[in-house]
Amino acid sequence: MNTATAPGGVRMTRPTAPDPPSAVCLRGLTKSYGDRVAVDSLTIDVPAGVVAGFVGPNGAGKTTTMAMLLGVVTPTAGDGTVLGEPLDDPESYLGRVGALIEGPAFYPALTGARNLAVLATAAGHDPAQIPGLLELVGLQARGDDRVRGYSFGMKQRLGIAAALLGDPRLLILDEPINGLDPAGVHEMRGLIGRLASGERTVLVSSHVLTELEQVCDWLIVIDGGRLLFQGPAAELMDRSGSRLVVAPEHPGDLDRLRGLLFAAGHDSQPGEDHLQIAVDGADPRGLAAAVNRAASSGGIVLAELRIARTSLEDRYLTMMNGGDR
Amino acid sequence: MISMFKAELLKLRRRRVAVAVIAAALAFAAVATIAVFLSATQAGAPGSQRGATVESLGEAGGATEAFSIGVSFVGILVLVLFIANIAGEFSQGTFRTLLMRQPRRIGLLAGKMLALLTFAAVVLALAEILTVAASAAMAPTQDIPTGSWFGVDGLGAAAGDYASALVGVAAWATLGMALAIFVRSIPVALGIGIVWSGPFEHLTQDAWTAASQWFPGLLLEALAAGGTADVSTTRALTLVGLYVAAAAIASAIVFARRDITA
Repeated sequence: MNTATAPGGVRMTRPTAPDPPSAVCLRGLTKSYGDRVAVDSLTIDVPAGVVAGFVGPNGAGKTTTMAMLLGVVTPTAGDGTVLGEPLDDPESYLGRVGALIEGPAFYPALTGARNLAVLATAAGHDPAQIPGLLELVGLQARGDDRVRGYSFGMKQRLGIAAALLGDPRLLILDEPINGLDPAGVHEMRGLIGRLASGERTVLVSSHVLTELEQVCDWLIVIDGGRLLFQGPAAELMDRSGSRLVVAPEHPGDLDRLRGLLFAAGHDSQPGEDHLQIAVDGADPRGLAAAVNRAASSGGIVLAELRIARTSLEDRYLTMMNGGDR
Repeated sequence: MISMFKAELLKLRRRRVAVAVIAAALAFAAVATIAVFLSATQAGAPGSQRGATVESLGEAGGATEAFSIGVSFVGILVLVLFIANIAGEFSQGTFRTLLMRQPRRIGLLAGKMLALLTFAAVVLALAEILTVAASAAMAPTQDIPTGSWFGVDGLGAAAGDYASALVGVAAWATLGMALAIFVRSIPVALGIGIVWSGPFEHLTQDAWTAASQWFPGLLLEALAAGGTADVSTTRALTLVGLYVAAAAIASAIVFARRDITA
């Protein structure tokens, strides 16, 4: 992977040659409602086979973007491809796409299984897969109950089962964790992880960033309809957000250690009993070794030497506040 | 369209729906037959031109006269049911779910309407059969002869009444669908539909007699009555056909082009 800075200072990571095929490729996608621009010239690539987190605050344009991918909302401008097919021809790719957007929507008077049968029939999929899907999402015992009696979490799981009809190559999930209790969140996270196995690409949106941090290996961050970042999740967390925490065995050695590190070319910020060094894109392990050598050369024993990773939440909030775009 | 037709039928093919339909058809047959037979007057008597007469009930089409008169009162009910069904798909978000699976929008809408109208056709057939049975049971109590009911002419009259009822139901259904697609809200669409086809058209008719020659609800009433003094069956059928075609085309265009944001 290499990185580049797009117009507007947006940091982008592009696949290096040979390029992996993109499951989703959007170029300048825009959606306006009158004077309000919901999605503003969005250019993104989602490599095939990744779990991609689509992150942004409420109203950032995540759902609108997903709705455009699914053909239920027409873009005002821009183009792109989904699974290699043109975005303006959803019929050519929707048979290989499963989705759950804007919450689960079902016929309350029908059973869960009958709802899935209606969707499978409408799409021309084999209804024989329904019992297996209900089992996958843990609803096998409630499949013959009417959806009217389902809890929200059960409806979300039924929504996932509906999205999986036809074994889609691309799964688009809009806020699947939203509204779930902690046990439900844990369960959904595990389910998303299982769904990502194989060649399937999963695009999942959320503003519960800590949950995405655990399941996603690719991130797209937007705000106000504009792209702030896209690339591997690890890169977002590592880049200038990680720091090395160094503490001498004796706090009295703190100033001398800082001087040694400065002489070795490493600027540090003092804490109460430790120093912090920004990783700034350097190899964290190499930096730790250099710091250890510098301390050792001055006869200072280190009691602590660790890489502190900035959480996705911290990085996200920094970006939202206008920093490090 | 075929897949959506099958999917829609899957929603309707349930025991609860079957029980409700049979109960409704039985109730319709009983109420329509009793009301028509008990209110039947001798030909030429005051008010005889407004309903069935003892003589007309004894003719070839007498077996389905109660059905024909009864169906003429269910137009607004059909309008309400189709508005609730189609607008409900928007408000529940199920159109969105379906369109993510079946992106051919006009095919989806056509398949759904075809399934609903097929279902309505079955319900009408059941209601007609039950009404004939109820009429056959009721006729002897009113000294109405039934000898000509089950001949070729009687069957022809029954088929004609059925076709007329089906045309009326299809027209009300299409108008309901169009209203639901334009407005996308059950209460608002119901409000507009009921107020327009009920009070508005009839109050306007009181002030402007030509309204019966132009307003869709009044034309459908004239069609169900087999023509009136003001509106011939041909005129009613032609104008209703134009209204239905315009409603179907306009709603198809709107449905195909508009974003599904609910």
